[in-house]
Amino acid sequence: MSAQKMHIDPYERNWMIFSAVMLVLFATAVSVAAFGMGIQVPAPEQRVDPRTVATDPNSPWSNPGLREISPGKYDAYILAHAIPSWEYLPKEITVPVGSRVTFYVTSSDVQHGFKIQDTNANFMVLPGQVSKLTVTFDKPGTYNFICTEYCGSGHGVMYGAIIVTP
Amino acid sequence: MAKKDKEDDEFRPTGTMAVMAIFVIVLIAIWATIYMILVGRGGTL
Repeated sequence: MSAQKMHIDPYERNWMIFSAVMLVLFATAVSVAAFGMGIQVPAPEQRVDPRTVATDPNSPWSNPGLREISPGKYDAYILAHAIPSWEYLPKEITVPVGSRVTFYVTSSDVQHGFKIQDTNANFMVLPGQVSKLTVTFDKPGTYNFICTEYCGSGHGVMYGAIIVTP
Repeated sequence: MAKKDKEDDEFRPTGTMAVMAIFVIVLIAIWATIYMILVGRGGTL
């Protein structure tokens, strides 16, 4: 039994090496962004009952809005719903520049999306699940947030704004 | 026949390499642009 040497065309070999190098480079870049720079996707924070999340007095989403937990740090409880109208509650949030805001977003009916423009915050909002993500607003201005998951006829008017004051 | 084999061995797919080079340059440019936008927008932790 003799060992056989596999023939690989030089062009194919070079292309395979190049593809492997590119994969390693891309994986490294993504890893650096995720673990070195803290750019991560949201994870489910907790489970809630979508039938009572907006009415239960013990639920933070029965009184959605901004809570200052320490100077410059805020928790924002946002409720998305399509009934009785397509909107986020609250529709507008105002924070000073440099604020670090942790968003806790859930839905009381159907699935929605939550994308804050000019930031890396972009996630699904599912009934029964709380999505959590933290964003630091280093520049003053108005950051609109919009629904990115089709949720019905009023999907196009489902938006809000975060106003970052100087 | 021997002459044809020799020509096959020395064949250089110049056009294919040019197309692949363009593909790779465009791929890297688009990827790097989006990556820089992502990094510029800051962390989400």
